[in-house]
Amino acid sequence: MSPPDDPHTWLNEHGDYLYRYAMSRLHNDELAQDMLQETLLAGWKGYARFAGQSSIRTWLVGILKHKIIDYIRHEIRGRNLTEAVESDPTSAFFNANGGWSESPDAWKENPEDLYSNEQFQKVLESCIDKLPEKQKIVFRMRDIVGEDTPTVCKCCDITSTHLHVLLHRARLSLRKCLNTHWFEKGTHS
Amino acid sequence: MKQACHYASRLASDSLDRPLSLWERLRLKLHLSMCSNCRNCDNNLKLMRQINTLIRKNHYGQLRLSEQQRQQLHKALDQHDNAIH
Ligand SMILES: [Zn+2]
Repeated sequence: MSPPDDPHTWLNEHGDYLYRYAMSRLHNDELAQDMLQETLLAGWKGYARFAGQSSIRTWLVGILKHKIIDYIRHEIRGRNLTEAVESDPTSAFFNANGGWSESPDAWKENPEDLYSNEQFQKVLESCIDKLPEKQKIVFRMRDIVGEDTPTVCKCCDITSTHLHVLLHRARLSLRKCLNTHWFEKGTHS
Repeated sequence: MKQACHYASRLASDSLDRPLSLWERLRLKLHLSMCSNCRNCDNNLKLMRQINTLIRKNHYGQLRLSEQQRQQLHKALDQHDNAIH
């Protein structure tokens, strides 16, 4: 008989939830499994400090979240990704007067139809893939994973202003790419 | 207003991440009321955000540990248990 609180019970009750949390952030099966294992063990070791002020699940997610932030920080530092703030690539979308050099189209399709269209998903993936590395990382974390801005800043060692600059760049490039490779073509409807 | 559309696109993007100040909100609203290009851009950005949210909910919401992963994890926890006792 295992007591109600032990890592095996946690694995049975919260394993899928924690795994989803890790997978959505790491996109890597093995890594997500490792993080989950470490989290359960760390939780078990530190169980004395869990005072029951939150649910076990919230507490375990907190541990997992820290481990993932540490991991991503390490990854990003190791790759030494820099992107100059001074030269602004979004300028390319505007003329000297700050007006659009090419008018954005109105997109008529609705999000559900687009989401369930496999071809569109492919175009979206390839457009995201073309972003500069650092923009890609913050865009995925913020807009796909839905991480809050303090967490993204912490992972990437940047200020919130810098984050907003990077997201602005990423979103305008993505908008342009989707417009060119999907909406403007209009071959799919 | 120089750089008006460029700046408006920045505010439209920022509004997805932080509450705009009163001044910024007014400025964006006024600009959007006069500029169909920026209205389109603003709507495009919002549509992109909606699609990304659907990806998150539908794709990652379905994931489960495989039976094999589950067994491996149980085993790893057992080994650790034996190591301390
Ligand atoms: Zn404008």
